[in-house]
Amino acid sequence: MNPRLGGWVRTVWTVFRMHLKQMAVDGFVIFTVIVQPLFVALLAVFMLRGAPGFQAIFVIVGSALTGLWSGTLFFSAFNIEGERWTGNLEPILASPTPLAVVVTSKALANVTLSVVTMLVSYPIAAWLLGLTLTVAHPWLFAFSLAMTIVSLISIGMLISPIMAIGPGTNVWANALEFPMYVVGGFLFSVTLLPGWTTPISYVLAPYWAARALHLSSSGGGALTEIVASWGIQALLSLVYWLVAVWLLRIVLHKARVEATLGLM
Amino acid sequence: MNRFVASLRIFISGAWLSYVGLFHWTDPASYVASIVLAPMTYMLFFMYLGTSATGSGTADFYLVGNALTMAAVNGIFGVTMAVGNERNFGTLLYLLGSPANRLAIFLGRAFFNVLNGFVTVTICFGWAFLLGLDLHRADLAGLALVIVVVTFSTSGLGLLIGSISLMTLNVMFVNNTIFFVLLVFSGANLPLAQMPGWIQWGGAVLPMTRGIQAARGLVAGQSIAQVWPLLAWEVAIGAVFALAGYAVFAWFESQARRLGTLEGF
Repeated sequence: MNPRLGGWVRTVWTVFRMHLKQMAVDGFVIFTVIVQPLFVALLAVFMLRGAPGFQAIFVIVGSALTGLWSGTLFFSAFNIEGERWTGNLEPILASPTPLAVVVTSKALANVTLSVVTMLVSYPIAAWLLGLTLTVAHPWLFAFSLAMTIVSLISIGMLISPIMAIGPGTNVWANALEFPMYVVGGFLFSVTLLPGWTTPISYVLAPYWAARALHLSSSGGGALTEIVASWGIQALLSLVYWLVAVWLLRIVLHKARVEATLGLM
Repeated sequence: MNRFVASLRIFISGAWLSYVGLFHWTDPASYVASIVLAPMTYMLFFMYLGTSATGSGTADFYLVGNALTMAAVNGIFGVTMAVGNERNFGTLLYLLGSPANRLAIFLGRAFFNVLNGFVTVTICFGWAFLLGLDLHRADLAGLALVIVVVTFSTSGLGLLIGSISLMTLNVMFVNNTIFFVLLVFSGANLPLAQMPGWIQWGGAVLPMTRGIQAARGLVAGQSIAQVWPLLAWEVAIGAVFALAGYAVFAWFESQARRLGTLEGF
């Protein structure tokens, strides 16, 4: 194996493992990936259960998506910012491993923790609420979930440098949580929203993730619609990743040339 | 008299220093994001979620309920962190070693959060109006009073959580969970009369429930005299939580002094 590639693989595994351990015992992380989505599910069940065509799986998948988005947003926002707070950012940037590798590893750990936790907790929550969960197309749903993970990692990579470069990470992370709940189509159709918001939904991978997951779990959609959602997610993920790599270069530039990274 | 003046001075200087030192308000874009973008999209989410099931004619129900929950965001998170941050920033030791009036310190730290809560809820009602909330029969002065009362009652709960936060490392877990408990139990998004008994009971003992009922009544054309009992109960519940919070803090301080466990939790 190429020694450089071997080093990157080792870094990915080490950062992934360490970040996962740190996150798993953090109260805020537990709240974001388990407690908040369960409260959203409870509210949504009570709010929607009287609606015609109510499907428990729709509420559960939609609520899980809110948790996945919140987790991606908050944890990615602090991927770089957290290192700055703890004084580790400069040593990380000075190391020969590309920052993109470190950030990708963290994003992978964030999404893994969120997905695994939800796959365990949601069947239990559904049982407690007396809901019967039926996935219309299990294999399509499984692949949709895999595509969701890919797209969330990509958007997480994009969020990290944006939050590191801009001021007020905390505030912006909080402010951007619900906009995605609205335009992502997690728990209601975006057709309810004003028409001018639809293009915003279309350039967001979580919207296509929600579309693929809902169509494959609730049924009612053609295979071509699901496959098209996967394709658009893949395309958007690639775009996010390319932009993220460019932004990470700006972070490096600020650190090494302008020496202003720690000042922001 | 001298003690009163000293406490007043601590309150004012504490409020000003917390404003200058703890809020990231120096960046206007971030501040606008926190009091405009976040509350607006939060209200939109619950409004569309609710109306997707019950029809667009019920939008007012969700707009009024969720506008008032913004008071809880500031009351709970702001006040909790005003107390809890003393520990996080390592200043609790010095604070408890000083002869300063504790209540004056924490009220000062919480003051701008409470004020911010009032401003945020007012902005939310502005958004609600733009989203179609029918205010032509509403008693606007009464509505302003409801906002003040709910801000007070949720701050009382915030003081209790803040005091509890001195005994736990997971304050963000605690205050976030309490906020969502309020979202479920207060009737902001659910018609409590149609909910199971355990939700109705929970709503009855928590702040915000009666404030939201009063606000919905005022928007629907009721007079302040008609909703007065609800507001009186809301104030009483807020006062009970605030007193409980102060008692927990006093207990924490005495235990910490006696056992030397100030930073041991």
